[in-house]
Amino acid sequence: MTSLFDYDENREAASAAKVRALEALLIKKGVLGSDSVDAVLSHFETVAGPFNGARIVARAWLDSEYKRRLLEDAPTAIAELNFPGMNGAEGEHMKAVANSESVHNLVICTLCSCYPWPVLGLPPYWYKDPVFRSRGVREPRAVLREFGVPISADKEVKVWDSSAQIRWFVIPERPANSEHLNEAQLAALVSPEAMMGVALVPALPAA
Amino acid sequence: MKLQHYLGGLENLGPVNLEKKVFVAEWEKRIFGIHTVMMAESTHLAYALPKYPIAQVPTTFKETWTWASLRTGAESMQPFEYFKYRYYEKWLMGISQFFVDRGYVAAEELVTWTEHYRANPGAPLPEQPNPVLKEQVVRYLHRGDSGLRAPVTPVRFVVGDTVYVADPEAADHTRLPGFLRNKKGTVTEVYPGAYEYFVSTGPDGLNGPQHVYGVSFDASDIWGADKSEPHTVIYADLFDAYLQPAHEIHAKDIS
Repeated sequence: MTSLFDYDENREAASAAKVRALEALLIKKGVLGSDSVDAVLSHFETVAGPFNGARIVARAWLDSEYKRRLLEDAPTAIAELNFPGMNGAEGEHMKAVANSESVHNLVICTLCSCYPWPVLGLPPYWYKDPVFRSRGVREPRAVLREFGVPISADKEVKVWDSSAQIRWFVIPERPANSEHLNEAQLAALVSPEAMMGVALVPALPAA
Repeated sequence: MKLQHYLGGLENLGPVNLEKKVFVAEWEKRIFGIHTVMMAESTHLAYALPKYPIAQVPTTFKETWTWASLRTGAESMQPFEYFKYRYYEKWLMGISQFFVDRGYVAAEELVTWTEHYRANPGAPLPEQPNPVLKEQVVRYLHRGDSGLRAPVTPVRFVVGDTVYVADPEAADHTRLPGFLRNKKGTVTEVYPGAYEYFVSTGPDGLNGPQHVYGVSFDASDIWGADKSEPHTVIYADLFDAYLQPAHEIHAKDIS
């Protein structure tokens, strides 16, 4: 009876203190160094992140041959760009799928939160939330509308559930009126959400 | 059934949460980091692809810790508890319990130290860098831990084959999304080589290297024509153990 009401009134402060205590104890006991966790976090600020995926997408937009190679064999095509760590943790085996006039792709992991770390970094909250994981496979179009992405009825929706080794990402459609942009400018338009299929890259104003 | 295996398709959930932040509280970064360091110093990496010089890394951690460890923990939670907690709250619960269960940390000292940091949120961590471990963490993040192995069994399906998803006993852990059990699909890809999952899942069927197939499912074959959205295809990568040839199912129906 009481367990229903037995909770900390400040859940965040309790978790913050507990994780700090755990890290401190693990350092003291030689399981971690005091620089270990920071080494992980720094990797996701400088090496693995959506900045890589955005550059890969921009390259694919500018070079249709590159896009073809990326769709056929993502690891080899990504390796051409010489970014470090591209077949590292949670990117050992990656595949890309492309949105087009007739197909919209959505990536999901209904069992957990599999995500292509090297090219996209760590999954945003929405991707890990049980509601997205439940509804994304049953009513992807309704879910996409909630993300502000209405998909016309004649377009096919493909949902990719990551349950084995492959980590998927989406090459969104190139936005209208972007012909004058270079690779870096194009990359700046590409969000992690667009590379998971819950956002589009919006058209630029007509010149 | 275990509810955590059947998230796909639950109804009556309300709108999706559109939060784009990776970490919604600062403390979440630390438990993510602790988990990732544990994976980077897991003893199994001595025999992984690639192989790592784990024996030379100065650490007192002598355990196998992989995604399977974390996922098995989440899947073993009482399901209503599972939905009460946020993603990294579950990690914090599971990982701290693991260190207590394995004797690395005493439950009482975790409580005492937690009280200390609760009363003194700015109190520093012990200063004890470990440059060799740090190097291993960076190496692991750059090179990963691939399940790719040489196949030990023949390929059972080719692209275009109709398959049915198996319905194995619910085990501690699975890589079979529950909503696909017993459903009819079509093989769209036969991945080269075979893949070994981190652990055996016992009666669930993962054990040793297995072929993995990309399988497509018409949404209406999963949810029913009147309960699914039109023009929608679900793809899943499924280990060999989770698939059955259509003709075997057909034969069973007749007998």
